[in-house]
Amino acid sequence: MNIVTANALKKYYGSGTNIVKALDHTTLQIEHGEFVTIIGTSGSGKSTLLHMLGGLDYPDSGEVIIDGQSLFTLSADELTIFRRRKIGFIFQQFNLIPVLNVYENIVLPIELDGNQVDEEYVKEIITLLGLKEKVYNLPHQLSGGQQQRVAIARALATKPSIILADEPTGNLDSKTSLDVIGLLKVTSDRFKQTVIMITHNEEIAQMADRTIRIEDGQIVGGNGYAEGQ
Amino acid sequence: MEKIAILLVVIVAIISTWLIGKWYYERKISRILNRLSEMIESAKNGQFRESTYDESKLSAVESKMRQYLLESGTSKEQLSKERDEIKTLISDIAHQTKTPIANIMLYGQLLDEEGLSMNGKTYINQLNHQTTKLSFLVQALVNSSRLETGIIHVTPKQQLLKPLLQDIIQDLRPIFNEKQQRIDLQCGIEQASFDYKWTKEALLNIVDNANKYTKEAGKITIKVLEYDSFCRIDIQDSGIGIKESEINKIFIRFFRSKEVYHMEGVGIGLFLTREIIMRQGGYIKVASKPNQGSLFSVFLPK
Repeated sequence: MNIVTANALKKYYGSGTNIVKALDHTTLQIEHGEFVTIIGTSGSGKSTLLHMLGGLDYPDSGEVIIDGQSLFTLSADELTIFRRRKIGFIFQQFNLIPVLNVYENIVLPIELDGNQVDEEYVKEIITLLGLKEKVYNLPHQLSGGQQQRVAIARALATKPSIILADEPTGNLDSKTSLDVIGLLKVTSDRFKQTVIMITHNEEIAQMADRTIRIEDGQIVGGNGYAEGQ
Repeated sequence: MEKIAILLVVIVAIISTWLIGKWYYERKISRILNRLSEMIESAKNGQFRESTYDESKLSAVESKMRQYLLESGTSKEQLSKERDEIKTLISDIAHQTKTPIANIMLYGQLLDEEGLSMNGKTYINQLNHQTTKLSFLVQALVNSSRLETGIIHVTPKQQLLKPLLQDIIQDLRPIFNEKQQRIDLQCGIEQASFDYKWTKEALLNIVDNANKYTKEAGKITIKVLEYDSFCRIDIQDSGIGIKESEINKIFIRFFRSKEVYHMEGVGIGLFLTREIIMRQGGYIKVASKPNQGSLFSVFLPK
């Protein structure tokens, strides 16, 4: 089952000879439970693509369907709620709230939605991500890798349909990167979670079920079983 | 003057009654919605029970929901029971096929010693060769049905990696010697949390492949590295490598690369390997280029 479908996404910046084709009729399908990495040089359009998939930016034309819902037919308010319920974000900056402890940061998006916290599930995520001893710590008391693990737990907490990660290891050294993304991989396997991640670290890209290469706004290749079938 | 005052009082009374009514109504609706949300949440966890039995509509909804859950639960249970039965059947047949095949092989060999004619010798060779193949396939079927029937029961425990890796090298020593390959182990006192028996099977598959796809006198290196949450075991060969378009397919059940279709195998080994590693909370990644060897990295939780 496809959880994400992008049809002929187009986004041009500038005009005439200065035209920049950030996305040039990009089409892509991602299956439920897949761990996909997107790699490409800077300016290749990979961030634009991820932002479109997350409904953070509008295309000139084309559509994105997540979990059966076409994103750009929603109103701005509907899209905000849709994002909160269906999409988990992980960024290069960890974006943790400094005055809340680890546990409060993790359950914040659940409480924003006015829902009760599934204690059992949150506890399991915290254990899997190795944060059990840190739940009462404040973000500034944690290392970079630990902070990103909290951000991962927060993204997983709402049980979103997809998790979008934009260079999640940009601020971490290579050894910590592999460790943190390894935990994301194991956790997403455990909960059959779909992950789409931008990276330029080849080692991290190798962990994916599928790697998508993007150049000048077009998907130029990569590997993986979803394409062949 | 008095009339206006009375009118005012009446208006205020109407408005306040209306406001109180509205407030009461909204509270009631919100209570019902909360209960419905609770019901769905508990149904998701499989713990739904009716809270009241009265004449209210909500109570009727509860009853209907309970009924629906019971019915859908029953059919789901039935389905999974049937599937389990089929799995067991396949596994049983696969197991029982092993004995007749072993007998065929035995009698074939006995027949071979009987002093047959030239033609007879050719036929019996063919017969033995095909039986060996059949036996291999049945073994693969048994392996895969083991996965299906959930016989893989990993019980990870904290232990040293070195004994495991030495054990694997010991087991495969003959086939390495046969191809005059050098095998190099770099491992200290790293510990990880794993199930010895199953992890051995998982790693054996990778090291066996390294032997199979590396030419004579090649080199295979096994190296252990330590991370914060994981222990990493690198298995580097100097073999034929894997095309980028196929790297992620090698873990799919029954996948066989066209490049190695002539080699023995059914495409179950690496699938099994990944499954075992995943069930222990670890993962695998591969780096490879054609003709430059392959690097399999197994990450086990610490």
